[in-house]
Amino acid sequence: MSAPSLQQQLAIPQRLARLPGWTILLVWTAAVLLPLYILVVSCFKTTAEIYDNRLGLPQSFAFDNFVRAWTRADLGHNFINSLIVTGGAVVLTIVVSAMAAYPLSRYRLGWNGIMLGLFLSGIMLPIRLASVELFTLMRSLGLLDSLTGLILVYSAIRIPFAVFIFANFMRVLPSELDEAARMDGAGEARILFQIVLPMVKPAVSIVAIFTAIAVWNDFFFPLIFIFDDRYKTVPLAISVFVGQFRTDWGLVFASLAISMAPILIMYCLLARQIREGVGAGGGMK
Amino acid sequence: MIKLRRTTSLQRTQQRMTVLFILPALAIYGLFVLYPLLMSLWGSFFSWKGLRMQEFAGLANFSRLFVFPSGARLYGALWHNIAWFFGIMALQNGLGLLFAWLLFLRNRGAAFFQSVFFFPAVLSPVIVGALWRLLLAPGGIVEWALNGLGLHQGSLTVLGNSHTALGMLIAVDAWNWMGLPVLIYTAGLRQISPQVFEAAKLDGAGNSRMMFSVALPLLMPALGTLTTLSFINTFNQFDIVYVMQGVQGNPSYSTDTLVTYFYRFAFGAEGAVGITDIGLALALGTMLFLILSIGTLLMLRFFDKRTVEL
Repeated sequence: MSAPSLQQQLAIPQRLARLPGWTILLVWTAAVLLPLYILVVSCFKTTAEIYDNRLGLPQSFAFDNFVRAWTRADLGHNFINSLIVTGGAVVLTIVVSAMAAYPLSRYRLGWNGIMLGLFLSGIMLPIRLASVELFTLMRSLGLLDSLTGLILVYSAIRIPFAVFIFANFMRVLPSELDEAARMDGAGEARILFQIVLPMVKPAVSIVAIFTAIAVWNDFFFPLIFIFDDRYKTVPLAISVFVGQFRTDWGLVFASLAISMAPILIMYCLLARQIREGVGAGGGMK
Repeated sequence: MIKLRRTTSLQRTQQRMTVLFILPALAIYGLFVLYPLLMSLWGSFFSWKGLRMQEFAGLANFSRLFVFPSGARLYGALWHNIAWFFGIMALQNGLGLLFAWLLFLRNRGAAFFQSVFFFPAVLSPVIVGALWRLLLAPGGIVEWALNGLGLHQGSLTVLGNSHTALGMLIAVDAWNWMGLPVLIYTAGLRQISPQVFEAAKLDGAGNSRMMFSVALPLLMPALGTLTTLSFINTFNQFDIVYVMQGVQGNPSYSTDTLVTYFYRFAFGAEGAVGITDIGLALALGTMLFLILSIGTLLMLRFFDKRTVEL
């Protein structure tokens, strides 16, 4: 017997030993993908068809459910509100957090440590428990039923995490960087936005991704601050649909698909950054 | 001399810029997070009429919280949160460790499986809850599949049954967040030096010995992060319950949590008439705040002590 065949003989039992492991991994993959597959195919089926043909592909890829969800259930309107709130909160959070993190991480001033601690303590604060006082505050500021109000609250909640990320990235930049710019007579604002911020692009993308996910998905604050249908965001609208259109399964499935579409697209494009961001910081939610 | 003057003038500029630069973030964070939180803690010691603060009441709100009829609900909700936490620790963080270990042993395909497993975690709990509510509904696809496989007969009412509903919600929550432990454990496993595993292999350790006796002690920081995060998320649990079982935690309060209970006091869905009781809401909020901060601190200390340095 030659050596390679002996190796082959050994390799087969070794591969067999790995079979249970692969099976376990594939079972969970199916547990994740099957519900999503059913969600997608059900979007194209009528309610009767959903009952008759559970697992198969739809008879035709008709967009009827999507059209009804977008117009009759007015999800289109909610969708635009969610885009405005998410975009606004992401931009505001990045700008004010980068501004705060810059002096806190790069100047050597006595009370910087305390200030940074004050921001970081907010990462773990259970802000939902303050929602009564927050409601009173929003009402007196005229920020109920207002997208601006939501943008401000979401930014406030996301600022601690963003300051934490920006400060960590900015701290390790060489100090010659801003010193040289200062010699050339650049102002502090220019140093931050034109020199430091472009150097910490990974931090900007981590903050943008996780702020966007958290804000797009949130449902608690619209639930307590938004009463007018005109200002409802997608998750709030979905929570209403599930009860309201209980028997119209095709419509509900289609609205679920619409509401997760932006996140799905972002996830496909940025899966690696998201995996690495979570693995490194664990800072979700 | 000149140099000294220049640094002080630079410091003065920096002090002015610091104030200017921090102000926007501090104003937003202070006004919409710190101020309402401090006011809520302070307000729990006062009596309330609607949304108006009345006179100082000491611990009166807290003692009202623990007696009939609020007491029974409180203990019920607290118990559900505790059960939820241990359920997540076993289902999500336990199974997650197995998945991460299996992925760690195989280099091929790890990124693909991680991406699939993590995908539900970027979805809104509202979408996840709504999706599973449809799948698990009587006449839904899970009922059809179980009937077809002969594992179950007739209508599936797991969400309407007070004995099974809570377990179902915990499982849905674990499905939602399974990718988190997988990512955090694999990141932790990759930080362990390969020599440690090689040495264990030379000593004749099998795969399972290697996981429990070699890898797990070195994964304490990862386990600590996950335990703390799961604890915080569990005791903030609201969305899945609201979407799947309603704000009362149906059926008959069997899936009620501390935050859904808090929400009913604060925004009026408790009792037949649905009136708010701000005093009780704030007292419950303060209690939850204490549970969360003390629990988090204890957990961080516990895992800090057990971290093994190599």
